[in-house]
Amino acid sequence: MNLSDSKKKLALAGAVCGLVAACLAYFGNPANMAFCIACFIRDTAGALGMHSAETVQYARPEIIGLVLGAFIISAATREYRSTAGSSPAVRFVLGMILAIGSLVFLGCPLRMIIRMSAGDLNAWIALIGFILGVGTGVIALKKGFSLGRAHLTNRMSGAVLPVLMLGVLVLALATTLLKSSESGPGSMHAPVVLSLIGGLVFGIFAQKSRMCFAGSIRDVLLMKNFDLLTIIGSFFVVMLIYNIASGNFVLAFDTPGVIAHSEHLWNILGMYAVGFAAVLAGGCPLRQLILAGQGSSDSAVTVIGMFAGAALAHNLGLAASGTALNAETQEIVAGAVPVNGKAAVVICIIVCFVVAFGNKRNEGR
Amino acid sequence: MRKKEQKLVITFHTTADAMAMEKACRESGVPGRLIPVPREISAGCGLAWCAPPDRRESLLEIMSQHGIEQEDLHECMI
Repeated sequence: MNLSDSKKKLALAGAVCGLVAACLAYFGNPANMAFCIACFIRDTAGALGMHSAETVQYARPEIIGLVLGAFIISAATREYRSTAGSSPAVRFVLGMILAIGSLVFLGCPLRMIIRMSAGDLNAWIALIGFILGVGTGVIALKKGFSLGRAHLTNRMSGAVLPVLMLGVLVLALATTLLKSSESGPGSMHAPVVLSLIGGLVFGIFAQKSRMCFAGSIRDVLLMKNFDLLTIIGSFFVVMLIYNIASGNFVLAFDTPGVIAHSEHLWNILGMYAVGFAAVLAGGCPLRQLILAGQGSSDSAVTVIGMFAGAALAHNLGLAASGTALNAETQEIVAGAVPVNGKAAVVICIIVCFVVAFGNKRNEGR
Repeated sequence: MRKKEQKLVITFHTTADAMAMEKACRESGVPGRLIPVPREISAGCGLAWCAPPDRRESLLEIMSQHGIEQEDLHECMI
Protein backbone atom coordinates (compact mmCIF):
# COMPACT_ATOMS: atom_id res chain seq x y z
CA MET A 1 0.00 0.00 0.00
CA ASN A 2 1.35 3.40 -0.97
CA LEU A 3 0.76 5.63 2.05
CA SER A 4 2.24 8.76 0.58
CA ASP A 5 0.34 9.36 -2.67
CA SER A 6 -2.19 11.60 -0.96
CA LYS A 7 -2.35 13.79 2.10
CA LYS A 8 -5.34 11.76 3.34
CA LYS A 9 -3.26 8.58 3.49
CA LEU A 10 -0.41 10.44 5.19
CA ALA A 11 -2.90 11.76 7.74
CA LEU A 12 -4.14 8.19 8.23
CA ALA A 13 -0.58 7.02 8.97
CA GLY A 14 -0.18 9.76 11.57
CA ALA A 15 -3.54 8.87 13.10
CA VAL A 16 -2.60 5.17 13.38
CA CYS A 17 0.66 6.14 15.13
CA GLY A 18 -1.36 8.46 17.40
CA LEU A 19 -3.70 5.58 18.28
CA VAL A 20 -0.72 3.38 19.11
CA ALA A 21 0.71 6.06 21.42
CA ALA A 22 -2.69 6.64 23.05
CA CYS A 23 -3.17 2.89 23.64
CA LEU A 24 0.27 2.54 25.22
CA ALA A 25 -0.40 5.54 27.49
CA TYR A 26 -3.77 4.03 28.48
CA PHE A 27 -2.23 0.65 29.24
CA GLY A 28 0.54 1.91 31.49
CA ASN A 29 3.28 3.99 29.84
CA PRO A 30 4.17 7.10 31.89
CA ALA A 31 1.66 9.94 31.79
CA ASN A 32 2.35 12.46 29.06
CA MET A 33 5.21 10.29 27.75
CA ALA A 34 3.33 7.53 25.91
CA PHE A 35 5.97 7.05 23.22
CA CYS A 36 9.23 9.00 23.52
CA ILE A 37 12.31 7.92 21.60
CA ALA A 38 14.89 9.73 23.77
CA CYS A 39 13.26 8.66 27.06
CA PHE A 40 12.89 5.07 25.90
CA ILE A 41 16.46 4.88 24.61
CA ARG A 42 17.57 6.30 27.97
CA ASP A 43 15.51 3.63 29.78
CA THR A 44 16.93 0.87 27.57
CA ALA A 45 20.48 2.17 28.14
CA GLY A 46 19.73 1.98 31.86
CA ALA A 47 18.44 -1.60 31.53
CA LEU A 48 21.75 -2.53 29.88
CA GLY A 49 23.66 -0.96 32.77
CA MET A 50 25.03 1.94 30.73
CA HIS A 51 23.89 4.32 33.49
CA SER A 52 22.79 3.79 37.08
CA ALA A 53 19.80 6.11 37.49
CA GLU A 54 17.56 3.54 39.17
CA THR A 55 14.24 5.13 38.24
CA VAL A 56 14.81 5.06 34.49
CA GLN A 57 15.89 1.51 33.66
CA TYR A 58 13.69 -0.68 31.46
CA ALA A 59 14.30 -2.33 28.10
CA ARG A 60 11.50 -0.60 26.20
CA PRO A 61 9.99 -3.01 23.64
CA GLU A 62 8.76 0.04 21.68
CA ILE A 63 12.32 0.91 20.60
CA ILE A 64 13.00 -2.70 19.62
CA GLY A 65 9.67 -2.87 17.78
CA LEU A 66 10.33 0.34 15.84
CA VAL A 67 13.63 -0.92 14.45
CA LEU A 68 12.30 -4.43 13.76
CA GLY A 69 9.06 -3.08 12.25
CA ALA A 70 11.01 -0.89 9.82
CA PHE A 71 13.36 -3.80 9.07
CA ILE A 72 10.56 -6.29 8.38
CA ILE A 73 8.45 -3.98 6.20
CA SER A 74 11.43 -2.70 4.22
CA ALA A 75 12.64 -6.26 3.60
CA ALA A 76 9.13 -7.40 2.65
CA THR A 77 8.64 -4.52 0.20
CA ARG A 78 12.17 -4.72 -1.24
CA GLU A 79 13.14 -1.32 0.18
CA TYR A 80 15.85 -2.66 2.48
CA ARG A 81 19.17 -1.16 1.32
CA SER A 82 22.34 -1.72 3.29
CA THR A 83 24.22 1.59 3.08
CA ALA A 84 27.10 3.17 5.01
CA GLY A 85 29.97 5.62 4.82
CA SER A 86 28.56 9.09 5.39
CA SER A 87 30.83 10.48 8.16
CA PRO A 88 29.84 7.88 10.79
CA ALA A 89 31.89 9.38 13.64
CA VAL A 90 30.27 12.80 13.14
CA ARG A 91 26.88 11.09 13.13
CA PHE A 92 27.76 9.37 16.43
CA VAL A 93 28.33 12.83 17.95
CA LEU A 94 25.08 14.15 16.43
CA GLY A 95 23.31 11.16 18.04
CA MET A 96 24.76 12.14 21.41
CA ILE A 97 23.51 15.71 20.89
CA LEU A 98 20.03 14.45 19.98
CA ALA A 99 19.88 12.53 23.28
CA ILE A 100 21.43 15.21 25.51
CA GLY A 101 19.30 18.05 24.09
CA SER A 102 16.19 15.89 24.45
CA LEU A 103 16.95 14.96 28.04
CA VAL A 104 17.50 18.60 29.02
CA PHE A 105 14.06 19.43 27.56
CA LEU A 106 12.73 16.06 28.81
CA GLY A 107 11.56 14.52 25.57
CA CYS A 108 12.36 14.01 21.91
CA PRO A 109 10.35 15.85 19.21
CA LEU A 110 7.77 13.02 19.29
CA ARG A 111 7.19 13.56 23.00
CA MET A 112 7.22 17.33 22.48
CA ILE A 113 4.14 16.87 20.27
CA ILE A 114 2.57 14.49 22.82
CA ARG A 115 3.22 17.01 25.60
CA MET A 116 1.77 19.81 23.44
CA SER A 117 -1.36 17.71 22.89
CA ALA A 118 -1.73 17.36 26.69
CA GLY A 119 -1.68 21.14 27.14
CA ASP A 120 1.88 21.35 28.50
CA LEU A 121 2.79 24.95 27.65
CA ASN A 122 6.49 24.20 28.25
CA ALA A 123 6.41 22.02 25.14
CA TRP A 124 4.84 24.85 23.12
CA ILE A 125 7.70 27.08 24.27
CA ALA A 126 10.21 24.38 23.31
CA LEU A 127 8.64 24.18 19.84
CA ILE A 128 10.03 27.68 19.21
CA GLY A 129 13.54 26.36 19.85
CA PHE A 130 12.94 23.27 17.73
CA ILE A 131 11.76 25.33 14.73
CA LEU A 132 14.71 27.71 15.12
CA GLY A 133 17.08 24.72 15.31
CA VAL A 134 15.65 23.16 12.15
CA GLY A 135 15.81 26.62 10.52
CA THR A 136 19.50 26.93 11.37
CA GLY A 137 20.07 23.49 9.89
CA VAL A 138 18.26 24.57 6.72
CA ILE A 139 20.57 27.61 6.45
CA ALA A 140 23.52 25.21 6.74
CA LEU A 141 22.04 23.05 3.94
CA LYS A 142 21.72 26.16 1.75
CA LYS A 143 25.35 27.01 2.49
CA GLY A 144 26.45 23.64 1.14
CA PHE A 145 26.57 21.46 4.29
CA SER A 146 27.08 17.77 3.62
CA LEU A 147 28.36 14.75 5.52
CA GLY A 148 29.16 13.05 2.21
CA ARG A 149 27.29 10.34 0.41
CA ALA A 150 26.54 6.86 1.68
CA HIS A 151 27.41 3.86 -0.46
CA LEU A 152 25.83 0.46 -0.83
CA THR A 153 27.64 -2.01 1.37
CA ASN A 154 27.42 -5.66 2.42
CA ARG A 155 23.86 -6.67 3.26
CA MET A 156 24.87 -7.82 6.74
CA SER A 157 26.00 -4.36 7.84
CA GLY A 158 22.51 -2.90 7.69
CA ALA A 159 21.07 -5.81 9.65
CA VAL A 160 23.39 -5.38 12.66
CA LEU A 161 21.21 -2.96 14.65
CA PRO A 162 17.98 -4.94 14.09
CA VAL A 163 19.80 -8.10 15.26
CA LEU A 164 21.21 -6.28 18.31
CA MET A 165 17.68 -5.10 19.14
CA LEU A 166 16.43 -8.66 18.79
CA GLY A 167 19.18 -9.69 21.21
CA VAL A 168 18.01 -7.10 23.78
CA LEU A 169 14.47 -8.46 23.40
CA VAL A 170 15.64 -12.03 24.04
CA LEU A 171 17.60 -10.89 27.10
CA ALA A 172 14.57 -8.99 28.39
CA LEU A 173 12.15 -11.88 27.90
CA ALA A 174 14.30 -14.91 28.69
CA THR A 175 16.75 -13.77 31.36
CA THR A 176 16.95 -11.60 34.48
CA LEU A 177 20.20 -9.97 33.37
CA LEU A 178 18.69 -6.59 32.48
CA LYS A 179 17.92 -3.96 35.11
CA SER A 180 14.32 -2.91 35.63
CA SER A 181 13.16 0.06 37.70
CA GLU A 182 10.93 -0.63 40.70
CA SER A 183 9.79 2.98 40.98
CA GLY A 184 9.73 6.11 38.81
CA PRO A 185 9.10 6.40 35.06
CA GLY A 186 11.04 3.20 34.28
CA SER A 187 8.59 1.16 36.35
CA MET A 188 5.60 2.48 34.43
CA HIS A 189 4.96 0.57 31.25
CA ALA A 190 2.33 -1.13 29.17
CA PRO A 191 2.45 -4.98 28.99
CA VAL A 192 5.52 -6.18 27.06
CA VAL A 193 3.55 -7.81 24.22
CA LEU A 194 1.43 -4.69 23.73
CA SER A 195 4.51 -2.43 23.74
CA LEU A 196 6.25 -4.67 21.21
CA ILE A 197 3.22 -4.80 18.90
CA GLY A 198 2.81 -1.03 19.30
CA GLY A 199 6.44 -0.49 18.34
CA LEU A 200 6.14 -2.80 15.33
CA VAL A 201 2.98 -1.09 14.03
CA PHE A 202 4.44 2.38 14.65
CA GLY A 203 7.66 1.33 12.90
CA ILE A 204 5.82 -0.04 9.87
CA PHE A 205 3.67 3.07 9.41
CA ALA A 206 6.60 5.41 10.10
CA GLN A 207 8.67 3.58 7.45
CA LYS A 208 5.92 3.67 4.85
CA SER A 209 5.01 7.32 5.49
CA ARG A 210 8.58 8.59 6.16
CA MET A 211 7.29 10.25 9.35
CA CYS A 212 9.89 12.71 10.65
CA PHE A 213 9.47 15.65 13.00
CA ALA A 214 12.55 17.56 11.86
CA GLY A 215 11.96 16.66 8.21
CA SER A 216 8.39 17.98 8.33
CA ILE A 217 9.55 21.46 9.35
CA ARG A 218 12.59 21.29 7.04
CA ASP A 219 10.32 20.58 4.07
CA VAL A 220 8.02 23.49 4.95
CA LEU A 221 10.93 25.92 5.35
CA LEU A 222 12.84 24.70 2.32
CA MET A 223 10.14 23.82 -0.19
CA LYS A 224 6.80 24.89 1.32
CA ASN A 225 5.90 21.20 1.19
CA PHE A 226 3.41 20.16 3.88
CA ASP A 227 3.28 16.37 3.25
CA LEU A 228 5.29 15.30 6.30
CA LEU A 229 3.65 17.95 8.47
CA THR A 230 0.27 16.38 7.64
CA ILE A 231 1.38 13.19 9.43
CA ILE A 232 2.46 15.13 12.52
CA GLY A 233 -0.78 17.15 12.45
CA SER A 234 -3.02 14.09 12.49
CA PHE A 235 -0.85 12.45 15.16
CA PHE A 236 -1.31 15.59 17.29
CA VAL A 237 -5.08 15.63 16.77
CA VAL A 238 -5.49 11.98 17.82
CA MET A 239 -3.41 12.54 20.96
CA LEU A 240 -5.33 15.76 21.71
CA ILE A 241 -8.64 13.90 21.52
CA TYR A 242 -7.26 11.11 23.73
CA ASN A 243 -5.93 13.56 26.33
CA ILE A 244 -9.19 15.52 26.48
CA ALA A 245 -11.29 12.34 26.64
CA SER A 246 -9.13 10.78 29.36
CA GLY A 247 -8.94 13.95 31.44
CA ASN A 248 -5.19 14.30 30.95
CA PHE A 249 -5.43 17.66 29.17
CA VAL A 250 -4.16 20.38 31.55
CA LEU A 251 -3.29 23.74 29.99
CA ALA A 252 -0.52 24.93 32.30
CA PHE A 253 3.20 25.37 32.88
CA ASP A 254 3.93 23.90 36.32
CA THR A 255 2.01 20.66 36.24
CA PRO A 256 3.43 18.14 38.72
CA GLY A 257 3.80 14.54 37.68
CA VAL A 258 4.06 14.96 33.91
CA ILE A 259 7.88 14.89 33.82
CA ALA A 260 8.46 18.43 32.55
CA HIS A 261 10.07 21.61 33.83
CA SER A 262 9.47 25.32 33.22
CA GLU A 263 12.97 26.64 32.62
CA HIS A 264 11.93 28.27 29.36
CA LEU A 265 15.37 29.25 28.07
CA TRP A 266 16.65 25.68 28.51
CA ASN A 267 13.53 24.15 27.03
CA ILE A 268 14.14 26.32 23.98
CA LEU A 269 17.90 25.72 23.79
CA GLY A 270 17.56 21.96 24.42
CA MET A 271 15.16 21.58 21.51
CA TYR A 272 17.17 24.05 19.42
CA ALA A 273 20.12 21.64 19.68
CA VAL A 274 17.85 18.70 18.80
CA GLY A 275 16.28 20.44 15.77
CA PHE A 276 19.68 21.58 14.52
CA ALA A 277 21.37 18.19 14.99
CA ALA A 278 18.39 16.36 13.48
CA VAL A 279 18.61 18.30 10.21
CA LEU A 280 22.37 17.71 10.06
CA ALA A 281 21.89 13.98 10.71
CA GLY A 282 19.05 13.77 8.19
CA GLY A 283 16.23 12.98 10.62
CA CYS A 284 14.79 13.21 14.12
CA PRO A 285 15.44 10.44 16.71
CA LEU A 286 12.41 8.46 15.49
CA ARG A 287 13.53 8.70 11.85
CA GLN A 288 17.04 7.55 12.79
CA LEU A 289 15.58 4.33 14.25
CA ILE A 290 13.50 3.78 11.10
CA LEU A 291 16.41 4.48 8.72
CA ALA A 292 18.58 2.12 10.78
CA GLY A 293 15.87 -0.52 10.45
CA GLN A 294 15.77 -0.19 6.66
CA GLY A 295 19.51 -0.72 6.35
CA SER A 296 21.37 2.54 7.03
CA SER A 297 24.49 1.83 9.08
CA ASP A 298 25.01 5.61 9.33
CA SER A 299 21.71 5.91 11.16
CA ALA A 300 22.57 2.85 13.25
CA VAL A 301 25.71 4.68 14.39
CA THR A 302 23.54 7.74 15.19
CA VAL A 303 21.27 5.50 17.29
CA ILE A 304 24.28 4.09 19.16
CA GLY A 305 25.37 7.72 19.68
CA MET A 306 21.95 8.39 21.22
CA PHE A 307 22.47 5.47 23.62
CA ALA A 308 25.88 6.90 24.60
CA GLY A 309 24.44 10.42 24.97
CA ALA A 310 21.53 9.20 27.08
CA ALA A 311 23.89 7.27 29.36
CA LEU A 312 26.20 10.29 29.69
CA ALA A 313 23.22 12.53 30.45
CA HIS A 314 22.60 10.53 33.61
CA ASN A 315 26.17 9.57 34.49
CA LEU A 316 27.32 13.22 34.37
CA GLY A 317 24.17 14.80 35.76
CA LEU A 318 23.05 16.57 32.59
CA ALA A 319 19.39 15.48 32.46
CA ALA A 320 16.72 17.81 33.81
CA SER A 321 14.32 16.91 36.61
CA GLY A 322 10.55 17.19 36.26
CA THR A 323 8.24 19.31 38.39
CA ALA A 324 6.89 17.11 41.17
CA LEU A 325 4.61 17.15 44.18
CA ASN A 326 6.32 16.56 47.52
CA ALA A 327 4.25 13.76 49.04
CA GLU A 328 4.93 14.87 52.64
CA THR A 329 4.51 18.64 52.39
CA GLN A 330 2.12 18.64 49.40
CA GLU A 331 4.23 21.46 47.94
CA ILE A 332 5.08 21.67 44.26
CA VAL A 333 8.83 21.29 43.71
CA ALA A 334 9.83 22.95 40.44
CA GLY A 335 11.80 20.83 37.98
CA ALA A 336 15.16 22.20 36.91
CA VAL A 337 18.05 21.85 34.51
CA PRO A 338 21.34 21.24 36.40
CA VAL A 339 24.34 23.49 35.69
CA ASN A 340 26.08 20.54 34.01
CA GLY A 341 23.11 20.16 31.69
CA LYS A 342 23.15 23.84 30.75
CA ALA A 343 26.87 23.66 29.98
CA ALA A 344 26.30 20.49 27.93
CA VAL A 345 23.57 22.13 25.82
CA VAL A 346 25.81 25.12 25.08
CA ILE A 347 28.61 22.73 24.04
CA CYS A 348 26.14 20.73 21.91
CA ILE A 349 25.02 23.89 20.07
CA ILE A 350 28.63 24.96 19.45
CA VAL A 351 29.42 21.48 18.11
CA CYS A 352 26.38 21.69 15.80
CA PHE A 353 27.69 24.96 14.35
CA VAL A 354 31.17 23.48 13.87
CA VAL A 355 29.69 20.43 12.12
CA ALA A 356 27.22 22.50 10.08
CA PHE A 357 29.66 25.01 8.70
CA GLY A 358 32.81 22.85 8.70
CA ASN A 359 31.53 20.08 6.43
CA LYS A 360 31.12 21.08 2.81
CA ARG A 361 29.76 19.33 -0.26
CA ASN A 362 33.01 19.20 -2.17
CA GLU A 363 35.05 17.64 0.63
CA GLY A 364 36.23 14.06 0.30
CA ARG A 365 35.78 13.90 -3.47
CA MET B 1 -6.19 20.77 -6.28
CA ARG B 2 -3.31 21.02 -8.74
CA LYS B 3 -3.54 18.56 -11.64
CA LYS B 4 -0.68 16.05 -11.78
CA GLU B 5 1.63 16.25 -14.79
CA GLN B 6 4.40 14.11 -16.20
CA LYS B 7 7.71 15.45 -14.80
CA LEU B 8 11.38 14.64 -14.94
CA VAL B 9 12.63 13.89 -11.42
CA ILE B 10 16.36 13.86 -10.75
CA THR B 11 17.56 12.31 -7.50
CA PHE B 12 20.98 12.88 -5.93
CA HIS B 13 23.35 11.12 -3.54
CA THR B 14 23.23 13.97 -1.02
CA THR B 15 20.93 16.82 -0.04
CA ALA B 16 23.82 19.20 -0.76
CA ASP B 17 23.91 18.06 -4.40
CA ALA B 18 20.19 18.85 -4.70
CA MET B 19 20.79 22.30 -3.21
CA ALA B 20 23.68 22.85 -5.64
CA MET B 21 21.36 21.85 -8.49
CA GLU B 22 18.80 24.43 -7.40
CA LYS B 23 21.46 27.14 -7.29
CA ALA B 24 22.87 26.16 -10.71
CA CYS B 25 19.42 26.09 -12.34
CA ARG B 26 18.44 29.44 -10.82
CA GLU B 27 21.64 31.03 -12.13
CA SER B 28 21.08 29.56 -15.59
CA GLY B 29 17.38 30.37 -15.72
CA VAL B 30 16.44 26.71 -16.21
CA PRO B 31 12.93 25.90 -14.89
CA GLY B 32 12.27 23.44 -12.10
CA ARG B 33 11.93 23.19 -8.34
CA LEU B 34 13.12 21.23 -5.34
CA ILE B 35 10.70 18.56 -4.10
CA PRO B 36 10.92 15.79 -1.49
CA VAL B 37 11.98 12.59 -3.29
CA PRO B 38 8.67 10.98 -4.34
CA ARG B 39 7.86 8.01 -2.06
CA GLU B 40 7.40 5.62 -5.01
CA ILE B 41 11.01 6.32 -6.03
CA SER B 42 12.67 5.95 -2.64
CA ALA B 43 12.10 5.21 1.05
CA GLY B 44 14.73 7.85 1.82
CA CYS B 45 13.87 11.41 2.72
CA GLY B 46 16.17 13.46 0.53
CA LEU B 47 15.43 16.17 -2.01
CA ALA B 48 15.00 15.87 -5.75
CA TRP B 49 14.88 18.28 -8.70
CA CYS B 50 11.58 18.33 -10.55
CA ALA B 51 11.50 19.81 -14.07
CA PRO B 52 9.61 19.56 -17.38
CA PRO B 53 10.64 16.34 -19.22
CA ASP B 54 11.61 18.24 -22.38
CA ARG B 55 14.47 20.00 -20.51
CA ARG B 56 16.42 16.80 -19.92
CA GLU B 57 19.38 17.75 -22.14
CA SER B 58 19.84 21.25 -20.71
CA LEU B 59 19.60 19.88 -17.17
CA LEU B 60 22.23 17.22 -17.85
CA GLU B 61 24.50 19.88 -19.35
CA ILE B 62 24.16 22.12 -16.29
CA MET B 63 24.94 19.17 -14.00
CA SER B 64 28.02 18.35 -16.06
CA GLN B 65 29.19 21.99 -15.95
CA HIS B 66 28.80 22.22 -12.16
CA GLY B 67 30.11 18.75 -11.32
CA ILE B 68 26.76 17.58 -9.92
CA GLU B 69 26.33 13.82 -10.06
CA GLN B 70 22.83 12.41 -10.27
CA GLU B 71 21.76 9.25 -8.51
CA ASP B 72 18.98 8.52 -10.99
CA LEU B 73 16.57 10.05 -13.52
CA HIS B 74 12.87 9.27 -13.41
CA GLU B 75 9.79 10.33 -15.27
CA CYS B 76 6.67 10.27 -13.14
CA MET B 77 3.38 12.04 -12.46
CA ILE B 78 3.88 14.83 -9.92
